[in-house]
Amino acid sequence: MSLLTAMWTFPLAAAAFCLAAGRFGRSTARAAALAVSIVYFALSLWLLRPFVASAGQAVLVVSGRPLAFGVSYLLSADGLSAALIALTAFLNLLCVLASWKLDVSAGYWAAFQALAAALAGVFLARDLFFFYVFWEATLIPMFFIVGIWGSDNRRHAAVKFFLFTFAGSILMLLALIAAVVAHHGLTGVWTWDLKALLGTEFGAAAPWIFLGLVVGFGVKIPIVPLHTWLPDAHTEAPAAGSVMLAGVMLKMGLYGLIRVAFPLLPGITVAWAPYMALVAGVGTVYGALCAMAQTDLKRLIAYSSIAHLGFCLLGLVSLTAVGLAGGSLQMINHGITTGALFFLVGFLYERGHKRGLSDFGGLVKRAPVFSFFFGFAVFASIGLPGLNGFVGEFMCLSGIAISQAPIYAVVGCVGVTLAAAYLLPAYQSVFWAPEGPGSVSDHVDDLDAREKGILWTLCALMLWIGLAPHAWLQVLEPSIRGLVK
Amino acid sequence: MNLLAPQAVLAAGVVGALGLGLRRRSSGAAARVLALAAPLIALLALCRLLASGSTGAPLPPLIHLDLKGLYWQAAIYLGALPLAVLSSGDDVETALFLGATLGMGLLAAAATLPMLFVGLEFMSLPAYLLVARAGEGNARGRLEAAVKYFFAGAFAGAMFLLGMSLYYAATGSLAAVAGPIGPEAQAGLALMGAAALFKAGSVPLHWWLPDVYEASSPEVAGFLSTSMKAAAVLFLMRIVALAPQAEFASALPALGALTTLVGAILALRQKRLQRLLAYSSLAHAGLLILGVGAWAALGRGPQATLALLFYVVAYAFMSNGVFLFLKASGLETREQLRGYAARRPWLAAAFAVLLLSLGGIPPTGGFLAKFLVLWQAVRASLWGPALVAALAALASLGYYLGLVRDAYFEEPAGAAPAEGCKTAALVVGLCALGALLLGAAPLLMGGLGVWR
Repeated sequence: MSLLTAMWTFPLAAAAFCLAAGRFGRSTARAAALAVSIVYFALSLWLLRPFVASAGQAVLVVSGRPLAFGVSYLLSADGLSAALIALTAFLNLLCVLASWKLDVSAGYWAAFQALAAALAGVFLARDLFFFYVFWEATLIPMFFIVGIWGSDNRRHAAVKFFLFTFAGSILMLLALIAAVVAHHGLTGVWTWDLKALLGTEFGAAAPWIFLGLVVGFGVKIPIVPLHTWLPDAHTEAPAAGSVMLAGVMLKMGLYGLIRVAFPLLPGITVAWAPYMALVAGVGTVYGALCAMAQTDLKRLIAYSSIAHLGFCLLGLVSLTAVGLAGGSLQMINHGITTGALFFLVGFLYERGHKRGLSDFGGLVKRAPVFSFFFGFAVFASIGLPGLNGFVGEFMCLSGIAISQAPIYAVVGCVGVTLAAAYLLPAYQSVFWAPEGPGSVSDHVDDLDAREKGILWTLCALMLWIGLAPHAWLQVLEPSIRGLVK
Repeated sequence: MNLLAPQAVLAAGVVGALGLGLRRRSSGAAARVLALAAPLIALLALCRLLASGSTGAPLPPLIHLDLKGLYWQAAIYLGALPLAVLSSGDDVETALFLGATLGMGLLAAAATLPMLFVGLEFMSLPAYLLVARAGEGNARGRLEAAVKYFFAGAFAGAMFLLGMSLYYAATGSLAAVAGPIGPEAQAGLALMGAAALFKAGSVPLHWWLPDVYEASSPEVAGFLSTSMKAAAVLFLMRIVALAPQAEFASALPALGALTTLVGAILALRQKRLQRLLAYSSLAHAGLLILGVGAWAALGRGPQATLALLFYVVAYAFMSNGVFLFLKASGLETREQLRGYAARRPWLAAAFAVLLLSLGGIPPTGGFLAKFLVLWQAVRASLWGPALVAALAALASLGYYLGLVRDAYFEEPAGAAPAEGCKTAALVVGLCALGALLLGAAPLLMGGLGVWR
């Protein structure tokens, strides 16, 4: 079995393994989950290795024989796929560690492994049928993660999350079918192979196909009018679920744009880029303004994701080398930074069982290490130079300033400023302000060794990407080279 | 080997079951064996026929068997198996069940309109009685539903006869005619098509369906929802094929889209599970009718046929599975479903798989079925109906996911429901497995011969 196939079959088998281990008690299932997550992370690094060695030039492909309906089993990995899978496996491992003290059934651990399998499939599939199948399959484990192990309003949030995403993806499916039918009309060949479909002249159907794809991917990113599922799902999910949602699942939308929508319809992409930039700019500011209005820390971070993903989209639709590279780097950055923030909020919630900004105060004295890490992640998220967020945002803004009207860059800068305007007061009121009445700060102990370990790795990565982004950009850059206008 | 062997086996089964009734004391075991053996042997005979690939044997003039007829029989007998396994052992019920199945088999083999009518009535008459008779409790409700079903069915039969007469008067033929046809023949075809739509449960001829499915016992509802629906779809296809130039075929996509939307929206508000599933069955009928419309628009090509065939086969697993879940669990309302996953995890898991499959979520057979039908609709440029069907699929997820939510995310409330039928639970598991495997298996079958 090739490595690429193993990247999605291994976690699937791991999910079954966790379930089976659950027969011997909850702690056995947990240990099994940890073991398989470590192995999977090692596998993902093994996958990443050739791309680092060849500076992203390598492309791994698995091509099976054609199956029915023009579908063939085709996987391919380039630097971007490998990096996103590594991110998935990395966060998956940290999620298992972060959930270590939860008293949950084996299904919890299995759901995370199954999610990793589906995500890896999305990032690897070159056949659009498989792409869609994996895309939809990600919903099932996350639906159960939110619905069973989430907080109070979890049932509503889980169904809303599923329905919104499905609404987008069924349009995406129709668009994909339309593309395949159009290709068949021109060539007489049924194929779902993305590479074979590239360069097809879709004629009058092209804007509709593009619209279907953009809506399908846009719900996931999410772009602004389609974002309303996100605050609910991210807030109600368990901490680890929020990390996977924000850290990886939002990236599926951007990945879909880069991998499917833009290459398939390059003409429309160029024509629509200003409008998409507008949507992205609006999202950046709107997400930030919404975040400013939040009193729930987790909800605030959820809205900040909308703003940050707006940045990524700005970079991508600039269709310049620097913008695209910055957008894809920012995808990884956001996964790390927001992952860290969601972990921290999760730890806070585990201790105080509250998430409101006014429920805490003065934590800097009581839990200095906690405050340090939170501050570190907040600064990375704001885009402080020297940390990862700065690099990505700077590149995105440069890209959009070069290619579109500078006004977009100005809007983006407003977004950056606003990020400071919502994150810093939140940080201040939880950690630095004096304790108010009804504060639960005295329940908050400092981080233990396990939690410190999780955050050390994340913060080290933020610093590494911030100081030496070159190595990362080298892996990502060849994947987006073809998209440069 | 005789092409009519499967039908012959079923006919022998009917006669045998009636013969059992002559005995003074019947143990029930013999009837049970008969109910299971006849469809199984028919299915095996069919498999041998399909494997031998001979459709050239001489046949009487009223009978015609093409590959479509043979494959459809397989779907029909497959859909009947769960009811066969759960047979009550009553000899009359067995005879009725086998008779209805035989009628469907005859329908699949009909060459001309009179033979179609014979098949239609042969499958319908026993079904009315089966609805009234099979099951425990609520005999009054079942009787009422059966009467309603009978009148609806009789009306459909009358429409078919009227349409047939008109068609014969206009064309002088009871079989397909080439060339243009006049308005009388058009009207005749439309009436015959309406009879088929009636049986399939298309809006606005669907009003009998929820009541009948709700009142019958779950396994009979599953039989009606799968085998009967498959037969009705084939019936519709036969009438469309009779005169492809008929204008009523162009109304099918819109009707199908409307049906699936109405079914999905009405199901959202249902509190009683069996009624909810009845409306869900309506939604799936709509997609099948849309599929027939696309099939007609695409010149009745093999790929569109395959899409429909795959749909009815996948649906045989899914719909039977969810109806039998009601029998296996003894649940009646959504309220009782709350927290069911904690009570019987395996059964709840099978139910969840079936629901996700009905909702069309990959990687299940239900997804592939919906996908293929939507694909054909897009191919035929039926954009409006395809979008409506997509919208309906979204609405239907509202209740499929709602049921999963009830079973998994809610806390159990109240006393545990009485333990249901064990055999049914086993069949539910098999159906769930089938629905799951059908998501992948067709891909591995190497093109299924028609999709290169």
